[in-house]
Parts: sequence; C-alpha cells; structure tokens
Amino acid sequence: MTVNTSLAGGPSTRRRRVSSVGFRLFTYASLILIIAPAVWILLGVLFHALGHWRWDVLWTPLTAAGGGLRDQILGTLLLMAGVLILAGTIGVLAGIHLSEMAQLKKNGKPSGGLLRTASDILSGFPSIVLGYVGYAALVLYFHWGFSYLAAVIILSVMVVPYIAKTTENSLRQVPTGYREGAEALGMSMGYSLRKVVLKTALPGIVTGLLLALAIAGGETAPLIYTANFANKIPHSVTHASFPYLTYVVFSFYDSSQVSYHYLAYDAALILVVMVLLLLVASRIIVARTQRHAEGARTKTRPPRAPKPAAPDPDPAELVDLPFN
Amino acid sequence: MTSVGGVAGDVPATPPGRATPREPLLRRVGNVFRANEERGWRWSARVAVLLPLVALVFAVTVLALKAWPAIRVNGWYFLYGKNWTYGDSYGATVHTHGVAHAAGAQFGAWPIIAGTLQSSFIAIVVAVPLSIGAAFALTERMPAWISRPLGYAIEILAGIPSVVIGLWGLLTFGPWLAKNIYPALASIASDLPNVEPFNYFRQPVGTGEGLLTAGLVLGMMIIPIITSTTRELFIQVPTLPKEGGEALGMTNWEVANRITLPWVRSGIIGGTVLGLGRALGETIAVVLVGGASLRLAPNIYQPFGTIAATILSQLDGAQADGTGFAVATLAELALVLAVISVGVNLAARAIISRTSRSGGPVGSGA
Amino acid sequence: MSKLMSAPRLRGGMIALAAVGLALSSVVLSTAASASVKLPSSGVEKPPAGTVTETGSTLLYPLFNLWVGGYNTTYPSVTVQTAGTGSGTGISDAENGTIDIGASDAYLAPSVTTASPDLKNIPLAISSQIVTYNVPGVLSHLKLTGKVLSAIYQGTITKWNASQIASLNPGITLPSIPIVTLHRSDSSGDTFLFTQFLSKTDPSGWGAKIAYNTTVPWPAAPGALGETGNSGMVTGCKATPGCIAYVGISYLTQALQAGLGYASLQNAKGQYEVPTAASIAAEAASFVAKTPASGTISLIYGPAATGYPIVNYEYAIVSNKQPSSTTAKGIRSLLEWAINPKLGAATTYLAQVNFQPLPAKVEAQSVKQILGIS
Repeated sequence: MTVNTSLAGGPSTRRRRVSSVGFRLFTYASLILIIAPAVWILLGVLFHALGHWRWDVLWTPLTAAGGGLRDQILGTLLLMAGVLILAGTIGVLAGIHLSEMAQLKKNGKPSGGLLRTASDILSGFPSIVLGYVGYAALVLYFHWGFSYLAAVIILSVMVVPYIAKTTENSLRQVPTGYREGAEALGMSMGYSLRKVVLKTALPGIVTGLLLALAIAGGETAPLIYTANFANKIPHSVTHASFPYLTYVVFSFYDSSQVSYHYLAYDAALILVVMVLLLLVASRIIVARTQRHAEGARTKTRPPRAPKPAAPDPDPAELVDLPFN
Repeated sequence: MTSVGGVAGDVPATPPGRATPREPLLRRVGNVFRANEERGWRWSARVAVLLPLVALVFAVTVLALKAWPAIRVNGWYFLYGKNWTYGDSYGATVHTHGVAHAAGAQFGAWPIIAGTLQSSFIAIVVAVPLSIGAAFALTERMPAWISRPLGYAIEILAGIPSVVIGLWGLLTFGPWLAKNIYPALASIASDLPNVEPFNYFRQPVGTGEGLLTAGLVLGMMIIPIITSTTRELFIQVPTLPKEGGEALGMTNWEVANRITLPWVRSGIIGGTVLGLGRALGETIAVVLVGGASLRLAPNIYQPFGTIAATILSQLDGAQADGTGFAVATLAELALVLAVISVGVNLAARAIISRTSRSGGPVGSGA
Repeated sequence: MSKLMSAPRLRGGMIALAAVGLALSSVVLSTAASASVKLPSSGVEKPPAGTVTETGSTLLYPLFNLWVGGYNTTYPSVTVQTAGTGSGTGISDAENGTIDIGASDAYLAPSVTTASPDLKNIPLAISSQIVTYNVPGVLSHLKLTGKVLSAIYQGTITKWNASQIASLNPGITLPSIPIVTLHRSDSSGDTFLFTQFLSKTDPSGWGAKIAYNTTVPWPAAPGALGETGNSGMVTGCKATPGCIAYVGISYLTQALQAGLGYASLQNAKGQYEVPTAASIAAEAASFVAKTPASGTISLIYGPAATGYPIVNYEYAIVSNKQPSSTTAKGIRSLLEWAINPKLGAATTYLAQVNFQPLPAKVEAQSVKQILGIS
C-alpha cells in the first residue's frame, strides 16, 4: 500500500500521513532493535571463544589446572537424553489426553480445565523454586544427594507442560477428516491414534520435543541445587554430583585461573551451537514433512494446464491464401 | 477346521468342551494387546496429564512445610520490612513462638520483592512495544529473503541459554551502557525537575551492574516470546477487514490501530503474561547482571536484588545457620515468588477469558 | 499352575539368605576393622581407589588445587574434585553430607555444632587476608586502621582524601575520588574474617550494629558493590577506580598483577604491619597456647607486637561419621597428606599462596581430629 507522503492537503491529512510514515519507521526500528542484541550476543560469544579455541576442548577432561570440557558436554547431552525419555513420554501422553480424550462439556468448551490450568501454571513456575523443591525433597529428604536422577526429574517437571502444549496443538491441527475416515474404516482407537493421527502430528510433536531439549539444556539455577557440579561423569545416578555445561559459564568466567576463563567462553559457544543445531533440526523436520502434507506448495510450479489445441483452420478462411 | 489367517503348520486340535480350536499363543497375546490398546492409551494418558497437577501440589506443599517456622516468626514484617539480617549466628540461639533462631535475626523482604516487580516492569515496558512493532514489520509485505532470516534470528534469541545472555550482559552490554547510554540519560534527568520518578535517573551512573541493565536484559529475554505469539496472531487476522479498511482510505497505522490490534488484544495480553512470568522467575541473568544487593536500589543504575536471585545466592550461606531458620526464610521467599507467579498466571487467564470474543474461530465472520 | 511352587523358588530363597548372611558378616568385620585407626610411619594412610569431593572457601581453593596435583602423583587412583564456592557452601554441604570435605575460613557456629555434633573443623594451614585498593597514583602501602575501615564501609568516609585517611598517611597525595566499597555477595569466610576484624577494632560501632558472620547486612555505603568469590573481588576492584576490597592472601599475586595496592593495618599494639611470613607467623604464635583441641578459635587482632591483625586457620569441615569406611579412609588419607610438614604443608606448596604451616602443637591436634574420622 503506497502512502502519499507529500505534505499537501489539510492538517488532518498531514497528520495522518505523518503518523503512517512514523508507524512504518517505528516497526522497522523495533525490528532492528530486537535483532541487534541477538547478533551482538552471538558475535560476542564467537569472538571471545574463538580467540583461544582449541579443538581438544571437546575431548579432554576437566582438570584442576584447565583441560577441556569433555565430561561437561557429555553431561549436558545425557541430561537432555534423560529429559527426552521422561518428559517426552509424559508430555506427549498428556497432550494426547488433552486433545483426543477430553470430552466436550455442555457449553462446547473441552473439559480438562483444571488439568490444563495446572499445566499452564507449572509452565510459568519459576525454575529456582522448582530447583529448591528438588533440593529439599529429592537431594536432602530422600537422601539422594546431588545426583543425575534429581536433576532429570526436576528438569522434566519444568518441561512437561511445554511438551504437552505443543503436542496438543499439533494433534488439534490434524484434520478431523482423518480421524473420521479411520473410524469409518473400522480402525480401533489405538490403531488410528498410532498409525494416522500421531504420524500426521509427528513433525509438530518432534519440534516441541527438540525445543524442550533446548530449554532443558540451557538451564542453570535448578541444576545447581540438584546436580551441583563435577569434573567427571560419575558412575552412579544417585549420590554423585553431575557435570554439565551451563555451570562452567556461570562460575568459571572470573576464576583465579585464566585457563578457566577460556573454558567459560568455550562452554558458551558450545551451548549456542547445540541450541542452533536443535533449531535447525526442527526446521528441517517441519520443512521435510510439509512437502508431503496435503495441500502443500512444492518448490516446483504446478504443471500448467495444457494449452488448448489450436482450432482447426476454418476452410472458409483459406480463401485468403494466395494460391487459392 | 481351517485357522483364519494361515498360521503355518499345525492347527491345534480342538480341546474337549470348546467349539473352535484355540488360536496360536502368539496370536492370542497379540489379541490381548489389541483389545486392550485403547484402555492402555486412555489410562496412561490420564496418569500423564495428572502429573503436572501432582507436581504443582507437591511443590507448594514442600514450600509451605519448610517455610512454616519462618512464617510464624517473621509475620507480616516479611512483606514490608526493609532489613535483612541473619543475626548473630555465632551467638546464642533464641526462641520465638517455639521456633529456634539466631539472636537478632530479622528478615524483611520488601526491597527484594520490590526489586522483582521493578525489574519485571522495566522488562515489560521495553519488550511489549518493540515486540508488537517488530511483529507488524514481519507480517507486512516483506521479501522472503529478509523475513525468513529475521524470523530465525528471533528464534535463536529465544533459545540462547540465560546464563550466556547474563554473562554477555555483565561483561559487554552493562559496561557499554554505563559508558554510552547512562551518562546521557543522567544528564537529561538532571535537567528535569528533581522529583520522583525523574531523580531516580540521576547520577551516579555506576558500572553497569544494576536495576536498569537487568531490566533491559530481562526485556531482551522475553521479546522473542511476545514477538512470536503476536506474529502468529497477526497472521490469523482475516484479510478482509484489513483490505476493506485500506480500500476506505485508512492509513497503515489506522488499520493497525483500529482493526488488527483490537482483534488480537487478548492474545497479546496472554503473550505478555507469558513473558512476565519468565521475567519474574529469571534467576541466573539477574544474579550476573543485577549486582546482588539486599536493599532497594538507590537509583535506577545501582545494584538491587530479586527474589529468584536472592534465593540462588543466599541459599548456601543460609544453611550455615544451624538452627535452620535462615533456610526456612528462604523457603518462605520461594513461596512468595510462587504465589506471585501463580497469581499473575490466573489473573491473565481471567482477563483473556473475559475479553476474548465469544464467537467462533477466526474467519467465521463472528 | 502348582508346578511354579518348586525348585527355582527354593533355590532363589537360599541365595537370598546367603546374600544377607554375607552382608551381615561384612558389616561386622568392617566395624571391627575400623575400631582403631593408627597413622603409618610414612604419615599418610594408603587410600582406596575412588573419589573425594571438596568444596568451599575460595581462599583455600587455589591451595587445594595444588595439593590435588601433588597428592595424585603418589596416589593416582584417587580422583579429587575441588570447587571454590564460598565457605558458607563448604559448611552447609558438609553438614548435609552432600560433600566429603568442606573448606572454610570460618569455624563452625555454636548453633551448627549443636545441630550436627559430628561435624568438626580441622585446621589445615594458616592464612590471612589483605585489604586491597585501586587508588591511581598511590604506589606504597597505605596505613589504615580498623576504625577507619569500619567508617568507610558504613559510608561515613566517602572520599580517598578524607582527613581520617590523610592523617594516617602523611606524605602521600591522595586523590579526591569517591571510595567504592566491595563486599562479598556469596556466603564467605573472608567476610567472616573481615567483619570480625571490624567488630574487634570498632566494638561500639560495627560490633554493636552489624557484628560478624559469613553474610552480613552491609550498610548502604554509596556505590557499594557485591562480588562473588575472591576472584570476583579482584576483577571487580581492578575495573573500579577508587575501590577498596578485602581479598584472601592466596590472591595476592593476582591482585598485584591487576595493579592493586594493599594496606598496612594497625594491630592491637598500635603497630602498622604488612602481611609477611614473619608478621603472620608472629600473630599465629600468640594464639598457639590458647588453641583448643577442636581448633575453634579466632586469630584476629591478637596481642602479638609484630603480628598482622587478620590471620586465620583454614579449616576442613568434616563429619566424624562417614557413610562407609572406604570414604572415611579416602578423606583421612588426603587430609593427612595435606597436613604433613614434608608433603602438603611443605613450603613448595604453601609459599605459592602465601600461607604458613601450622605450629607443631596445632598440627598434632589436627592429626588427632583426622584420625577420629570413621
């Protein structure tokens, strides 16, 4: 929509023109203002980490004098794996319930209001409070001590509502025609759920899971009080502190040893790269499956309708030909 | 008698008293699974959806139990008092209302609660206009080669761990602000009258670790949430009313203000409250950037404390108090934060359900 | 289905009984074995393979890291995990049993010893604390007293060229910049030592109003900043001209490299002393006779004429009752190694962090405490 930006016209016209130009400038300025810090942070992390980057940070264990971050990287990955198994199962099942099994009440709104409210409240619950509860209940009262198990449970509690919500949204987007068709074909509920509904909603569910892993991997506060920190991966899931990357960023940046400063920046870079990989993976999954989805636009243009065949020349018009 | 389905080999002989032969064992096991599959899904889904409620109730119960001794002794002073001191834990232990604690221990958390509200307020004030503006910019006709990478950049900002953002705020952003932005703000404020809130912006400017820096960093962290929810909402606004408005000669600002925004108002409130919840509970970034103080910030550039940051940084020290009273007080602080967070969430749901259109889905013409 | 009640079940039951019997007998044997622990002639027990975890004081942290390196050359099968998280964390984690050894500059409070009677503080070495400052143009040691420091941290003295400071340092031109006080925001043994010094030198002021603890309600001095850990104090002071900060002496090299100066403090006999090996040893010597078997005593502001006033024992906070005898042996071995004057307490290690070894009587008391861990 073009805007006549000349200042001709009456005062109210002028004011409207100015406000519309001002609005457009404001929107672009806002966009720049929110992109700029993101770019700044990424460049800052890159710059600080690459200044002293050593590839053997990835496979050297952490020692008192420096070393690498091998066990910390592995620890973050193991925490993510545990959360994927525990929270993934519970969250997807909860999403299935909220979407497929909640009966409609009389006023047309789906039931399960209390459970959905509880899930929403839990998703906004402060992570440090959950960390403290995990510390008081799991670490101290259950006598597990700082442990992998306590950390995975608390992270899962944090992330289950998010997975449930994304699963529910993905399932709701599956057209009801699919479900009705499956029922018409005589499929049992479980079979149609597995083979039709979940399969269609899978990209959305997987995206939700990957983003939940990114959230869990980037947490610090609840982990400090459930897993503490360690230099090496322990041999037991209880009674042993567990290593992970975010603590390195939090506590090594002003250590008395300069080698630890570099490790803090390296850990920040590795975390950002992990998050990027998860985001890219979820994008690829969405793009891949949308190509096969119903009604999707493919990259190639749809084949043009064939040109109507040229009509046979009317014999009467051949009169104009020279040799006739 | 033939066996349906053709399991190769023996058809078991018909046992006495049965009309048809028994099916093979594997098929029987499979039948049991198939018949009960729906029940299995239903029950496991029911259990799964109950777990968040159970976890929530468990968390609040644990907090209330641990905080109870402190609630008894601290009383209402906890909410309005300004003095936070562990007392003489190397001295004698005294008892109040039957609870043991160090002599002189007094916990007034008002500065910390105020710090939480102040920093979240700054975050919202900064984030909401910018997010809405950016969402407008992204949904206008923009070439794909610009809008796609910008969308990615916002998603990446959402995914960066808060500890990385906090460290960047401490080492890069805060000092940059203190050197370039804050002195300018302070000189503007010194030209304004010497009343609240203007004198809150006056010198001294500090080193960049303080309330305003923390508020800005929190705002940066909640911008992606609000932007993406707003953008989704804008996409869903039907084009017919918008195009009708343009056809009538409305400028883009008028279309945005009078057609688009009212349509998505409750959704924006919902997105804002999501962001507010994150800002209230954010711990690590505030610990790194906020300066760790137990007092009210004397001006907007100075160190302050939030509930979440105070819990994280004081928990270890609190346990050095052998009576356990300091830990109970921190549990009380955690309970206050939980109550605030739950309250904000419920209030938002009430607002949304009251202001959302009772009509059908978008585009149905309601 | 009656065939299921048969030989496999019975066999399973017998195996269970045998396992229980074995477990019982091993418990009996192990308690019998740990009844009397004696120090071998080398001075250090041979540790079992495993992990020993330590956390706590950032003042002791650099030395503990050096110790781990030396300990592992003789006993490579033991993994020692160290962390510098603040004395408060060291005490609390040792209390909870979530860590094996807690390091602390502060001895245990009476409320803690009543709540956990098995917990004890074992002196390992003698350390001290310096008061650093970032005053551009001042190259020599400024003379400061406890009362002046108390006024600075309370916000009554706000500029470096204040008369109270200038009168103590004639001949030094002090700039007119504001003083920025740095304090520890985490629960810190250094805070404990510094506030104890302020309380003893200014009993009616600081001692009455604020007293000493690992965390105190710092008065609202203008521009006061909180930092985490000793390293945070050093980096924070380096970045803030006009700052004053209390830092553990194991960070002296870092402070000097950061361009910070450190003060010469007035002791109880009116002398101004800089922390040197001699002044620290003199202060510690004046308390040797008074040190109880538990090691709980403050060495601050003592009667020694040439003593530096902020000196302390570095403590290992350990529980007497460990969950298993192997854990206990691992802890004992590490601590015995650390205390041995020829091994951990040799000058090669202590000099790197400017610590002093324990006097012989105190060392013997510490060894006795270590042997009591089981």
